[in-house]
Amino acid sequence: MTRNEFIRRLKSGLGGMPAAEQAEMIADYEAYFDAGAAEGRSEIEIAEALGNPGRLARELRLEAGIKQWREDRSPSSAWTAVIGILGLATIDILILLPIILPVIGVIVALYVACVAVFFAGGVVMVAGPFAQMDVAVNGFAVLLGGLGIMGLATAAGSILTIVTIGFVNVIIWFGRLHY
Amino acid sequence: MAEGIEVQLKKGVLGLCVLALLARGNSYAYEIASRLSAAVDMGEGTIYPLMRRMQGEGLVSTYLEESPSGPPRKYYAITEVGKNRFEEQAREWREFVEAVEAIIKTDAELGAQAEGNDDTQ
Repeated sequence: MTRNEFIRRLKSGLGGMPAAEQAEMIADYEAYFDAGAAEGRSEIEIAEALGNPGRLARELRLEAGIKQWREDRSPSSAWTAVIGILGLATIDILILLPIILPVIGVIVALYVACVAVFFAGGVVMVAGPFAQMDVAVNGFAVLLGGLGIMGLATAAGSILTIVTIGFVNVIIWFGRLHY
Repeated sequence: MAEGIEVQLKKGVLGLCVLALLARGNSYAYEIASRLSAAVDMGEGTIYPLMRRMQGEGLVSTYLEESPSGPPRKYYAITEVGKNRFEEQAREWREFVEAVEAIIKTDAELGAQAEGNDDTQ
């Protein structure tokens, strides 16, 4: 592979990343070719020693994704990082998929449940005091009860978020060991 | 998977090796990679994802320095966090190697060692 070919494949592998970051990564490899040439190595020799540019691009994307996740802890960066790991998937992580996917399913279901309970609490709080009930219940107590349910749902959601962050970190840790 | 364990092991210690090299002095990617690839057989291109990760973890910092030929070069320097990590990992690595050594020693080696001990007594 020539230098141009290597850089071209690297570039296409990095497509979609922020332009400044791409430029920096490509400049790194250009500098590597320069340094190698200064030592008298041929382009083809250097490209061979560097390895597969497509794979290197995936590794760079993953590192960038993980860095983003560390900085903002947002669902979209978690997604990017996890997808990045799966993109580098080796047999090891494929074996893990049957474990990972159900866990993701359970997490999503629990989030939905939290949101549902939160709104149910809201309904109890707003509508409860005005409902016609056989047993005489203090309207104010019902209002507080509804508020309590909403609080519980919020707390459960927060705990779930902590668990989810831990889970994503474990996947990243495991993926890094194996790519 | 005979090759597997070797690759995993080498990948695992790569970060430690980079920290060790940088603890001796600042360096640029080409120099680090050529020193590592001579000792630890692996793709030289992995150096950049690795350096980015280490930079992200605050273990190394970068700066530009004029090079005798061509554009300025990106140099890497070890940070205080990196130095601490290096000492910690180097100690863990030595403990690990000693433990494995003690287990994989063959009977013949153990016998030779026992004899050696006899000699010294």
